[in-house]
Amino acid sequence: MAKDIEISTSEAKFLVEALKQNQRLDGRGFDELRDVKIELGRDYGDVTVSMGKTRVHCRISCEITQPYEDRPFEGLFFISTEISPMAGPQFENGNNTGEDEIMCARIIEKAVRRSGALDVEGLCIVAGSKCWAVRADVHFLNCDGGFIDASCIAVMTGLLHFKKPDISVSGEQITVHSIEEREPVPLGVLHIPICVSFSFFNPEDTEENIKGDSNNEIAIIDATLKEELLRDGTLTVTLNKNREVVQVSKAGGLPMDALMLMDCCHKAYKITETLTEQILSKLKEDSEGRNKYAAMLSSENNRQM
Amino acid sequence: MIEAQVSVLDQVDGSAQVTCGTTSVICSVTGPIEPKARQELPSQLALEVVVRPSKGVPNTREKLMEDQIRGVLTPVLVRYLYPRQLCQVCFQILESGEPEQEHSVKELNCCINAAYLALIDAGIALKSSFSSVCMAVLPQSSEIVVNPVTQQLQQSNSTHLVAIQVGQGGQKAESVLLAESNGSFDQQLFLDVLSTGEKECIKVALELRKIVENKIQKDFVWRG
Amino acid sequence: MGSLIIPGDELHINKDSSVIQGPGVYCEPKSQRFIPVNAGIEMITDSKKGQTVYVDFNSRRYVPALGDLVVGTISGSFSDSYRVSLANFSTPVTLSYMAFPNASKKNRPTLKVGDLVYARVSNAEKELEAEIECLDSTTGKDVGYGLLDGGFVVDISLAYARELLFNSEFPLLHIIAKYTQFEVAIGVNGKVWIKCDDAKSTLACYRSIVECQSTPVGEYKRLIAANFKEITNAME
Repeated sequence: MAKDIEISTSEAKFLVEALKQNQRLDGRGFDELRDVKIELGRDYGDVTVSMGKTRVHCRISCEITQPYEDRPFEGLFFISTEISPMAGPQFENGNNTGEDEIMCARIIEKAVRRSGALDVEGLCIVAGSKCWAVRADVHFLNCDGGFIDASCIAVMTGLLHFKKPDISVSGEQITVHSIEEREPVPLGVLHIPICVSFSFFNPEDTEENIKGDSNNEIAIIDATLKEELLRDGTLTVTLNKNREVVQVSKAGGLPMDALMLMDCCHKAYKITETLTEQILSKLKEDSEGRNKYAAMLSSENNRQM
Repeated sequence: MIEAQVSVLDQVDGSAQVTCGTTSVICSVTGPIEPKARQELPSQLALEVVVRPSKGVPNTREKLMEDQIRGVLTPVLVRYLYPRQLCQVCFQILESGEPEQEHSVKELNCCINAAYLALIDAGIALKSSFSSVCMAVLPQSSEIVVNPVTQQLQQSNSTHLVAIQVGQGGQKAESVLLAESNGSFDQQLFLDVLSTGEKECIKVALELRKIVENKIQKDFVWRG
Repeated sequence: MGSLIIPGDELHINKDSSVIQGPGVYCEPKSQRFIPVNAGIEMITDSKKGQTVYVDFNSRRYVPALGDLVVGTISGSFSDSYRVSLANFSTPVTLSYMAFPNASKKNRPTLKVGDLVYARVSNAEKELEAEIECLDSTTGKDVGYGLLDGGFVVDISLAYARELLFNSEFPLLHIIAKYTQFEVAIGVNGKVWIKCDDAKSTLACYRSIVECQSTPVGEYKRLIAANFKEITNAME
């Protein structure tokens, strides 16, 4: 980070004071997510996700390349999460070595790539010599907190939306068919991980929290930038709708007990369910819009009971 | 021809999203802010231009675009009003709308127009307005097509981009800020391209003016 | 109200009489011509001395100008002055220890890093670091500047901040005053400090000010009423 955003003591005190009285600046409840808006672009794999003022754009692309020697049956998958000063002047161009930036990149990487959300074996064309390399470029447009949550939604929606050109293989010869020529093929997405971030505030003195038995931390979901800057600790839970916990990441901050963690996971699960539903319905709407004749050609009809 | 929204981002001082045909770009401007020591210029405003492609990592193509945009912006900014300050101008290509390996005119064209709106939004002093237009010259007929589509770009003998400084209430083209051509063409054709470009730039400038007028009305909405 | 103007247009000034230039107007060094450099509303007023011309435009980045009232955050302290931030990422300004009422070498002000101050810009040459002061420098007396204790800061656009400060008829604060008591300090750097007796009212004020920025005046009453109602309901 180039330079930090300065927040006065009065603002910091007031924010915690308001939280103690069950109030957030924007009038949301503690467990309330901002409205998530997903927009799909003209091309396959072009997604813009907005959560309140936070805005993330994701672009999926692919090309044919050579697989890694030690993994001849697998295609390649990269996620690029570079933050430019567009998201806010606190970010420096080409220098994403700040703690927050690396944290963000790592969590998304773990949530999507290492959880096996994308079937990389399905990207193999000719074992050991040719495979698809899929790239997800995440562009952060506006930073108002919740980058991790928003970019995870963006990448997953992008992967589900994206279609790679169809190919035909005869021996070593590969023919790539353009979109006009043959219907492109979707990627193999195995599950949809969703990240939910919690922010913790300590209403009492720091000392009390370390020594005392009382654990009355305030936990809020989907913090805005101001809340993120002032929080004492953070926790990101990644789940899918099959109730599988993909990752739990808690770097630094206040100590927390198991019950609280369970409680957070339950809250996150509810959000995961609604978000997954939202992503799928958005994609359905889009594919219906693209293929107006599909409904006519379908053999499905309203049956009378 | 141009669709634009101004003030779309709120962490930066000015921003604009411009869509021109199938090309879509978002531009942010922050400034005048405190520069890093290596950027600082003793008597004038330093400019940091960043272009980020929609796919992949930035490479020489984006660096070249950054340089071209810098060339357009430097003469129109009132630089001596902000000594030892920095202005950050960032572009994010959302949709390229052209084959990226061979061409960059459409992206560049969108970037320049977006930069104008974002600079106005940020309230950075400008000597005059400016606008840009991209063109392609078709083979055989030598017809000059304004805002070509992908197919026309691929067929074309040459592609051109003209950015012009517009004065007198958007009526008069004052000087050429950038003339970027690629391909084979002769002198006469280039002069034709320039004069077509001039006319089209003025049209674009009028459209941009309407967008700015709307923005100002929105800015002072509480007066209404 | 004047007409709309953008860079590249001609100013509607009388070339013969003298011109007093304000914000948004620049005198080109070569041609000595006055040109508008910002897009906004052209304002010309004639007086005996000449014609005053400026462009009223909205922006979000504050550039210090002499005499402006500002709300700043102390970001550092040195042997003889504080460093104050008027906007994030902008060049900080200086607040000398001697620029306080009753200041002397021994009597040092007691502000800490992170404190908010209300001050006046006392020096704003573009080549130099700007300076602010917490006293009336002509009389050396205390005129209400200094530490802002507690409360909360609302970030608003610069044109809106100017309207709130200079137009005492502007209904926003008058309407809020019907619901709660408050202290307020408006900085033309786009920061409004507001403090009520309790956090709930401050919060309602915060939300009202933020929302009113993008709302026509006619709807203020309804909007502010809704904000205060919501907060009292939440309390029960």
